[in-house]
Amino acid sequence: MEEVASQIVDKAIALGCQDAVADVVENRSYQIRFAQNEAVISNQWRESTASVFVVHGKRVVASDLKDLSKTDEAVERLVKIAKTSQPNPDYAGIAKGSFRYARTRPDPKVLSLSEGGKYVEAAVGGALDQGAKECAGSFWKYEDEHFLATSNGVEGHDHRASLYLSIRALVSLESSGHGIACATKLSGFEPEKAGQKAGRIAVLARTPKPAKAGRYTVLFDPLIFGSLTDQVGGRLSAWAVLAGLSPFGKKIGKRVASPQLTLYDDGSADSIARKRFDAEGVPTRRNLLVSKGILKTYLHNTSTAKKFKTKTTGNAGLVYPDSHAIFVRPGDRSRDEIFSEVKDGLWLTNTWYTRYQSYVTGDLSTIPRDGIFHIRNGDVVEAWKDIRVTDNLIHLMKNIVALGKEPEQMMWWGEVSVPNFVPYALIKDVGITTSNQ
Amino acid sequence: MNAEMDLVNFAVDEARSKGATYAEARYEKQDPENFILKNGVLDALYVGHDQGIGVRVLVNGALGFAATNSLSKAGVRAIVGDAIKIAKASRRKTKITFAQEDSIAMNWSIPEAKKLADVSVEEKIAEIQGVDRDVTQLGFKLAARYFNLSDNRIRKYFANSEGSRIESYSPRLRVFYFLTVVEGAGVEQSSRNYGWSGGWEGISTWGLSDRVVEEARSMHRSLTKGKKSPEGKMDLVAGPQVAGIASHESCGHPTEADRVLGREAAQAGKSFIPPDGLGMRVGSELVNVVDDPTVEHAIAYYLTDDEGVKARRRYLYKEGRVTEFLQNRETAAALHTHSNGAARAVNYNVEAIVRMANTFVEPKDHSLEELLEGVKHGVYMKSFMEWNIDDKRYNAKYAGREAYLVENGEVKHPVRNTIVELTTPAFWSAVDAVGKDLDFEAGFCGKSDPGQALDASMGGPPIRLRNVHLR
Repeated sequence: MEEVASQIVDKAIALGCQDAVADVVENRSYQIRFAQNEAVISNQWRESTASVFVVHGKRVVASDLKDLSKTDEAVERLVKIAKTSQPNPDYAGIAKGSFRYARTRPDPKVLSLSEGGKYVEAAVGGALDQGAKECAGSFWKYEDEHFLATSNGVEGHDHRASLYLSIRALVSLESSGHGIACATKLSGFEPEKAGQKAGRIAVLARTPKPAKAGRYTVLFDPLIFGSLTDQVGGRLSAWAVLAGLSPFGKKIGKRVASPQLTLYDDGSADSIARKRFDAEGVPTRRNLLVSKGILKTYLHNTSTAKKFKTKTTGNAGLVYPDSHAIFVRPGDRSRDEIFSEVKDGLWLTNTWYTRYQSYVTGDLSTIPRDGIFHIRNGDVVEAWKDIRVTDNLIHLMKNIVALGKEPEQMMWWGEVSVPNFVPYALIKDVGITTSNQ
Repeated sequence: MNAEMDLVNFAVDEARSKGATYAEARYEKQDPENFILKNGVLDALYVGHDQGIGVRVLVNGALGFAATNSLSKAGVRAIVGDAIKIAKASRRKTKITFAQEDSIAMNWSIPEAKKLADVSVEEKIAEIQGVDRDVTQLGFKLAARYFNLSDNRIRKYFANSEGSRIESYSPRLRVFYFLTVVEGAGVEQSSRNYGWSGGWEGISTWGLSDRVVEEARSMHRSLTKGKKSPEGKMDLVAGPQVAGIASHESCGHPTEADRVLGREAAQAGKSFIPPDGLGMRVGSELVNVVDDPTVEHAIAYYLTDDEGVKARRRYLYKEGRVTEFLQNRETAAALHTHSNGAARAVNYNVEAIVRMANTFVEPKDHSLEELLEGVKHGVYMKSFMEWNIDDKRYNAKYAGREAYLVENGEVKHPVRNTIVELTTPAFWSAVDAVGKDLDFEAGFCGKSDPGQALDASMGGPPIRLRNVHLR
């Protein structure tokens, strides 16, 4: 496949392109979806895709090619279209190679895994043992192999594989919990533990009471705190800032969070999204985004970096920069200690449907789902239901008062788009609203 | 497409010969093209060339699905083997069955007065640049603006082991825009989305430039003349965009049978409507909410679904009661009924699941003026920005984008950030009058794992709600 990537790049350059990138990806992922405690469908993919980026006279065209037997014709078509497009004056090229990449290899035991039923059974069993009645979720073996070539002398190969399981356990429609298991090594994959957590929360959430709106001190479980930090990571893309889709515009060097929060993006660290290089072939690395509450940088590719008079952070996507994996520097509280700090507040375990009234101001709301608990003096006094967090992203980050010392890797459907390594987070003065009728 | 059709037929035969009690295969070729014009600059043009085959089999009461873009007999044989192997490994205790449906042989396509394939990139860019120029000429401080024009040409061939053979062609066109207007310390943001099934002629049906200019004007008006929205119980006239999102979120989603049965529990969630909930009252007798794939030129128009079942109009709520769930063959069998043609997949490489198409409040007979005339004190919420709903589809929030105070039937000044935060029955039970002028907007509807963000549209006429709590 490396020949296909090089051939695409060579063809584009021969046709007069100034820059070209081809990332040929072989996807061999496998999934089991389950519901009502058993598999509802199993999926297997055998796909090869060439993600292509060509630039002709600053006219940028991207594509995904599926017929790899006719790449010459496809590139000719793309270049022809590029010539009729318009130049992007903000386009500043792609990174110049060559680069040296970390020697990461996927776990052979993950690669050879071809049957995931026992992991689903372990997760479901873990939840049912806690008293849950109904479980649903997904088991994934992600496997893809990248062959990258660029016109700036970059050649890269990256074989990625990981395991993932998401389980929701229910006692009833309104009493549920969610658990996540992520691993790059089979030995570190703990689906049963994820099921147990989901089941434990579901049982604890039995007979939830109507909530009272107000402002609360809230303990965010890692899964829901991951939703918030994922928002921070995504909104720190320089592209989002330029498009009016971020509250972090013009805030470099300014306070955007409590001194408790130090947050970085790192595609090179061990996570289920670890990658050797970004879409331009730049080696991934650790980028400090927020240091003790002060915003340090946006996420860049070569073009956005030039616009902001800085250097690429190695976060290029095919067209736009984005986060790879978000890491929050842990705090010093044990789980028991951070719970004990909640005198009269809430413990939230999951959320979904985060939407903004204004991306520029960061005004948003999100709807907690699964266990919602009223806490007094560190103990759960009752389960609540039907609430909404109605607040502001920067206000939430500024009001972090404590962080747990044990981060967990979280990624979840629709809400936590990349792995977020997050501990428990205690945030004060969080707006909680409810339906008025 | 003959070679690909042969491969699809081969996949079905191969699966049956390898032990599948039911097999289907779907070839899709998609030719998407889109670009973003951001702050007047063309960011990048995306031109896709996507094709492949997906195979779904039922073996021993378990489902297996596999997909490839290797369009050869060897490639297809490999995924048939994969699908059967992983289905067999499922070890289900209960057997999945499919509702019996008629087999269909059909070839349908959506006509294009001006073929999308014949429209040059230059023409498309010029169209959007014209709109961008019109809105910038207003002289407002537009802190950010972006427009996304996208089109797609989708060819499909579907075959199953019961004899269905269906060929189809769907050209689709869509514009999304997002504006940020600043005035002093105030910021207003808005996004709108228009869709069309058909050719390039769709672009002229939207009156895009006028709509965008009017939107920017209303944003500026909100910033310069907008006042705090009144709080308390009062009347609400919800415009077509608000009626549309409410019909999608709190009528369409809770009547998806796979959600009702728990298949989506870990992702898009469940439903407040139980499996035996047909007939349940959720609104006033004036509320009819329809999902209809056969609305001509709507973005989610189709005549057969991705399980080969004929599409038809579905009354989700009729006279305020739940009347029909959206079904595919799997959910229909579980609920002892028939599919109503709601199975759709976003591409060849994912299974078809239960989806909405074009969901809307059925119009009645009031003009907007008549609806407003009946309001002594309330708010006319023409459009929204922020919205969300819980995963059982019971607690929804719509935050006003363009909204006005209404007093004694007269529209007064703009009001900012009106919040409607109500349960589904509270919202629909408060409806006391329904307008006659139907309008649609397009959207992407998210569901399933892997995620399938699918073309959908939603709409309605303006509707009037009595005595609801607003903030």
